[in-house]
Amino acid sequence: MNKLSILFVFLSLFCFNNYVIAADNEISAPEIQPEKTWLPYDYTDTTAVPIRLAVTKEISSEKGLFEGQKLEFRAISDVYYNEKLILARGSIVQGKVETIVTSGMNGFPAELMIDGFEIPGIKQSQLMGGYIKKGQNRCFWVYPLKWALTLIPVAGSLTNFIKGGHVKLHTRDIITIYYFPEWR
Amino acid sequence: MKRFIILAAIMLVCVPALADTSELAVENSIQSRIDNVGTTLLNMNRIPRRIVFAYTKKEKKALLSLDKDLTRRQVVVYDGLYQSVQTDDELAAMLAREISVVLKSYSGIWGGTLDSVQVALGSKKFETVADKRAVDYMVNAGYNPLALIVFINKTCPQKRFDRFSRHNLTSKRLARIYEYITYKYPQYLENNDYVNNQYYQNFLLNSILNRRKLEEKIKNQSTEELKYE
Repeated sequence: MNKLSILFVFLSLFCFNNYVIAADNEISAPEIQPEKTWLPYDYTDTTAVPIRLAVTKEISSEKGLFEGQKLEFRAISDVYYNEKLILARGSIVQGKVETIVTSGMNGFPAELMIDGFEIPGIKQSQLMGGYIKKGQNRCFWVYPLKWALTLIPVAGSLTNFIKGGHVKLHTRDIITIYYFPEWR
Repeated sequence: MKRFIILAAIMLVCVPALADTSELAVENSIQSRIDNVGTTLLNMNRIPRRIVFAYTKKEKKALLSLDKDLTRRQVVVYDGLYQSVQTDDELAAMLAREISVVLKSYSGIWGGTLDSVQVALGSKKFETVADKRAVDYMVNAGYNPLALIVFINKTCPQKRFDRFSRHNLTSKRLARIYEYITYKYPQYLENNDYVNNQYYQNFLLNSILNRRKLEEKIKNQSTEELKYE
């Protein structure tokens, strides 16, 4: 009877372990079905048409700019797709200030992000390439200076007062965004 | 007696094994949910960078440990935070914030190394930027940005001071997010889906002073940066 009990326990454990291993395999390698849901985007096509723009007047992050502000840009060259004119040179296009990062202590530069360009006949979802411009990054020399000055008490902290550069967007700065005509 | 021993032996093997399999299934479903919301944010915002999402049951490490967002371009969702996520909007809020931090590691010289260091050193400033970008990402992906307010209100504790801290006071962060939504996406406040949400109402309750400052700013058509409390 004893031998029978031991054999029974052994068989139970063996069978159960096999079951657990099989179950684990099933869970670790689930069958992945391709999704059949409709997506609002399709990035298959790689055809991209560059659109070059420039601001109509100089702007600076120093003052007078706020997030959500609309800015005017002009096309600096004709834009064609399939020999059809999409945007004529000199046309005015609106864009939006997305985010402003103000300049900070220790030479941190200001940063300006522009996106949300509104081009007649082109959907927002077909445009890619928001524009980002940074001010002068003074961290390169401020941090070595800070560390060098730490030998003199308090002197290292003085570099905290050195701020990074503001962003200035000149009319000669070229902003390139890309139009993907085959995207949804 | 022998029968009892046999039964006990079987039970000892069965119970933990079954618990393991169900735990794995739960973790798998959480990871799938995170991947789904995260990838929606990336695709709808047309972010042409590789970012992966990982769910972990580990605790978040000490403050000085290197952030995987910046070093490995990986958004790590810790179990402790995930427990506070109730809706997909809130999950999107959490992921969108991290995505904006990861994207910073892709810009600038030396493969984004310098920018990553700057984010780590000037974290207070970039915390605000990440919050604002998260709002943009959420709106573009069709999520309600007020969920970011709800999520932060639920999960981030309020410190006494932030002057010498690497992080902003949570009340300041919330006020800035609210201001950003007020100016940029007022439609979410006009048709407010969160007006009957108790956590959002709790935010409204604890932000009366800051919201009053914002109302004054709007009334005076000022563009000055507000000093929130």
